[in-house]
Amino acid sequence: MGRRRRRVDPADAAGALPAAITALSRALPGGPSPETFRRAKFDRPEAAPALWRLLFHVLSPRPADDAAALPTPEAQARLVKSVLRSQGYPRRALVQLPEDGSQGSRELLLALSWLLARGPLLERLLAQIRVRLGDEMPVCECEVLASPGPPAPRVEADGCVDIRHLQWLMGKLRFRWRNLITSQQEHCALLGKVHSYTRGCHSDRSLGHLSVTEAELLRDPEGGRQLLRRLESENARLEAALEWRRRELVFWQWMDTVLDACPPEASQPTFLPRILERGAGELELVARELQALQEELQAVVEPRRAAWEARVGGWGPGWKATQRASEEAVRQELTALQRAWERGGGLAQPHGPHRLVRSEAGTLGGPGLCATEVIKALRSREACLEAALRQLQGQCRQELARLVGALPGFIWILPPGC
Amino acid sequence: MSIVTVQLGQCGNQIGFEVFDALFIDSHCPQRLSSKRENEAYQASCKERFFSEEENGVPIARAVLVDMEPKVINQTLSKAAQSGRWKYGQHSSFCQKQGSGNNWAYGYSVHGPRHEESIRNLIQKEVEKCDSLSGFFIIMSMAGGTGSGLGAFVTQNLQDQYSNSLKMNQIIWPYGTGEVIVQNYNSVLTLSHLYRSSDALLVHENDAVHKICAKLMNIKQISFSDINQVLAHQLGSVFQPTYSAEGSFHYRRNPLGDLMENLVPHPEFKMLGVRNIPQMSENSLAYSTFTWAGLLKHLRQMLISNAKMEEGIDWQIRPPLPGLPNLSKMSLNKELHFNTSIANLLILRGKDVHSADLEGFKDPALYTSWLEPVNAFNVWRTQRAFSKYEKSAALVSNSQFLVKPLDMIVGKAWNMFASKAYVHQYTKFGIEEEDFLDSFALLEQVVASYCTL
Repeated sequence: MGRRRRRVDPADAAGALPAAITALSRALPGGPSPETFRRAKFDRPEAAPALWRLLFHVLSPRPADDAAALPTPEAQARLVKSVLRSQGYPRRALVQLPEDGSQGSRELLLALSWLLARGPLLERLLAQIRVRLGDEMPVCECEVLASPGPPAPRVEADGCVDIRHLQWLMGKLRFRWRNLITSQQEHCALLGKVHSYTRGCHSDRSLGHLSVTEAELLRDPEGGRQLLRRLESENARLEAALEWRRRELVFWQWMDTVLDACPPEASQPTFLPRILERGAGELELVARELQALQEELQAVVEPRRAAWEARVGGWGPGWKATQRASEEAVRQELTALQRAWERGGGLAQPHGPHRLVRSEAGTLGGPGLCATEVIKALRSREACLEAALRQLQGQCRQELARLVGALPGFIWILPPGC
Repeated sequence: MSIVTVQLGQCGNQIGFEVFDALFIDSHCPQRLSSKRENEAYQASCKERFFSEEENGVPIARAVLVDMEPKVINQTLSKAAQSGRWKYGQHSSFCQKQGSGNNWAYGYSVHGPRHEESIRNLIQKEVEKCDSLSGFFIIMSMAGGTGSGLGAFVTQNLQDQYSNSLKMNQIIWPYGTGEVIVQNYNSVLTLSHLYRSSDALLVHENDAVHKICAKLMNIKQISFSDINQVLAHQLGSVFQPTYSAEGSFHYRRNPLGDLMENLVPHPEFKMLGVRNIPQMSENSLAYSTFTWAGLLKHLRQMLISNAKMEEGIDWQIRPPLPGLPNLSKMSLNKELHFNTSIANLLILRGKDVHSADLEGFKDPALYTSWLEPVNAFNVWRTQRAFSKYEKSAALVSNSQFLVKPLDMIVGKAWNMFASKAYVHQYTKFGIEEEDFLDSFALLEQVVASYCTL
């Protein structure tokens, strides 16, 4: 946790630190009071709960919008510890803190500063809670895919599970998927209607029409006042963030003193993650199976390769050239495929949600993506994924056929629709 | 969310008319017990689902009418227009001048491909009128020529074109003593093809509905119109608006999606049946009062004993005692003619609907061993009464109710096939013996799956 040390004018120093901490506290969504920061330096227990909550809010994959969904303080503390560890946080003392949330404010303050120093944490948080005026749609799902989401409840299967129950659940999932798509189509149709009916109503000519939020503003003055209040508080937060950026140097110097106030960490051996006993047995099994498979493959490949070499060897040097040419062609095709994949997924614009703007045909221009291009990129991505799925399904079918062949005297009837 | 209905053949068109009429009449029925606002929300929800708006205010059914001869379609169109309540779209119908002689293969291999594009365009136009498409109803008979063969083809087409939209086929199960000699062939081919391309098969048995008309409605000369009206009443009581969640007063947006998710997620179990209670003539209605306890008790026993109406229920049939191992439970159930369910959806409409006690339907003994009642049983409610019934209940269930009739049809068809009777009429138009064999195998598999619940 090092940063450049610069000489600070002592006359400023007295007021600079409180101002910096106040700015940080105002900029952080749900930020603890400046007093909490001060108490944390001295490891006061009353500062701990607020810091645990802040860290949970910062580190949890989905910002918890409704209080009803918040997990218990113990669960929050566990998540904070595990995420920090997975991100490489070096201090052991944090891991050893009790999970009831009663202690450790100094360690938590250090962890918070570590996160602030590493990357644009504040900017990310502010972007998350931004007031959105337009109708937005994501152009990619990579953020959703990358975040792990809440842990799914694990249902222990005691005894056998009837496969019909699994098929039932799978079918339910498919129906929900289809209903979701239908709902999304309806959503889009209605958005299109709002956009086309409010054409020419927007003061911003480049947008041209109102979004649903903006149309609601016109219909509901009370809602408009609430929106104004939200924008004002967002402004205040952004100003605090700017203030913080101006004054943060003083904060980092102060954090050095906090670090010095900690007792020295005894060197501990690095600990390895605990493998469950049951998992270990299965891993053994898998390792042995892989070994056996590899030996089997070797046994099959060697004679084949030898036979091929024998056949080809007698064909003369011209063959070698052809072989090299075909290898090169294959390599080129592979790189082309990979590039097509990346191109399909990697649009020039940044990822994340974009505001929908409906424009007349032929009047394109200005910043932003064109919907038809996005659709084309997504379609090529879809084609790649479908090809991969078909390949995997083909492999499954081959495996089934192999199993079927191994049991003579059986007639296999596939379910309808296969 | 909207549902587009495809009415196929004589059967499909006549029933389709009655369904739209029943939905419309119910949603405009004067309601004493619901508030004005609630009623308007109900009407709006029903309208969005089944009708689209026209300039002069007359609602237009979201439907496409298809038949190979013009008579029935013309009758249907004029009946709707004359009623003054609602009508069909001007260009929503497609018909030809020739029939198909009850030949499934002709409907599937000749009519289908020949008129594929025209039919597809009609459906596309109807879909474009929807803000959001929940899915399709396809109303067809199973055993005729046009409805069944063409219906199988159209359903397959919808599968390719609109793979994300849901498809429910409303299938009319023929009379056991039907007049068409090859009706069993047609039934087998239709069911097997639909099983592959449709999401749910809601089966209406002609025999059952006929009995309802005779015994419950006291109709002396039963016409197709009477039968179709009973059918339409059943469908209406399922698909009219209901609250979206327990405790909510907003109407459910996607009943078709919710129904399918609750009842037919398993690819081998797609057969659904409807029972509703009470069902009686208007004259008797004035003199009857109902309690939820009574209605639900009868409905439960109807489910368990595989009865189709509330008269003549066999009360001796009981669910098995808990604690028996699965295999012996299955054979015991078979002996006792106990109808095991996979999943059930109960729809309650009317006064004091929130006070109805549903414990009887949550009994694990009613259900198969691999699905708990909490997953297998669902209930939808609304306080707004349906049609003229102060209280009414409908039950859509995925259960063993069709195993016997299906087995019988497959058996009869197989006997005919074994002696190659009439097969040349199908091979003439491209349906090979292979296709027959595949269909038999699939349906045998379905029967076996349902039997081992």
